[in-house]
Amino acid sequence: MLIPRRVKHRKQHRPDRSGAAKGGTRVVFGEFGIQAIEHSYVTNRQIESARIAMTRHIRRGGKVWINIYPDRPLTKKPAETRMGSGKGSPEWWVANVKPGRVMFELSGVAESVAREALQRAIHKLPMKCKIVKREVGEA
Amino acid sequence: MSEVRIAAERRTAFGKGAARKIRRADKVPAVLYGHGTDTQHLTLPGHEVLLALRTPNVLIRLEGDGVNELALPKGVQRDPIKGFVEHVDLLLVKSGEKVTVEIPVTTVGDVHPDGLLDQQLVSIAVEAEATHIPTGVEVNVEGLEVGSVIAASDLPLPEGTTLSADADVVVLHVINKPVEAPEEGAEAEGEAAEAPESAEASAE
Repeated sequence: MLIPRRVKHRKQHRPDRSGAAKGGTRVVFGEFGIQAIEHSYVTNRQIESARIAMTRHIRRGGKVWINIYPDRPLTKKPAETRMGSGKGSPEWWVANVKPGRVMFELSGVAESVAREALQRAIHKLPMKCKIVKREVGEA
Repeated sequence: MSEVRIAAERRTAFGKGAARKIRRADKVPAVLYGHGTDTQHLTLPGHEVLLALRTPNVLIRLEGDGVNELALPKGVQRDPIKGFVEHVDLLLVKSGEKVTVEIPVTTVGDVHPDGLLDQQLVSIAVEAEATHIPTGVEVNVEGLEVGSVIAASDLPLPEGTTLSADADVVVLHVINKPVEAPEEGAEAEGEAAEAPESAEASAE
């Protein structure tokens, strides 16, 4: 699972969820990709689960790229705790994904296999997504 | 490559308010510059620009409102989700002039059954005459063995086109197919072992 090896601050503010993705909005490495069309925090478990769903479907052949990294910690206070007494303990590692971001890419398999694999991966993700194809030479 | 004629209007209002007003009218704000001339601010019809930009390095003939120029798209800003064009940067060119552009690299044929095609470059920089820019370069990968490499110098460039990129740069190569994913049971055990790992433990 993807986890940062070392961080400067263990507890951070919640990442900003406004706006759209500024970069990483097109398929550049593979032939097909999964593009987010909503904001969401994607945890490292969800990323791993999506990757496994994809690689199990394509079996031998094909290459997968993961373009997001869960580098932001989210904290949580224990259940039935009174307010105060400081910030809770880190609970999840998330990637702050904004609309338009291409999160996964895939190549080396037939289009029908790729689409099915990506659809299985989308089911593991917490937001609405769509499958995008690399546009050859479009400016 | 034939040129696409697009009617252009001069733009006099600037800033995000004016630009948004233009976009609401199904038009696209654009700028035209090059050859040391003053930058010209234009408004172009949205749908025609969208269709024209589907061709890589399309040569655009801008007409109307005192404008009659040939231009190439230099930069295109698109909406990240819907894909409509928000703004276009156009570079002034003259017919017969040589320009450096990126042309798409496409593949034809099937690679070796045990190989996986790893395309490192999907476009390559070439120098060509502005009015005769090739639409792309096709590479035949039929029968390429595992370990085969195609460098930029191996690309079959159309006549009148010269390579601008480094000749040694790898465009594509055939690698071994990745090994099959482990069985369900084995993977599930691995996941279970990782499960107790908390975010806090890793941060420390």
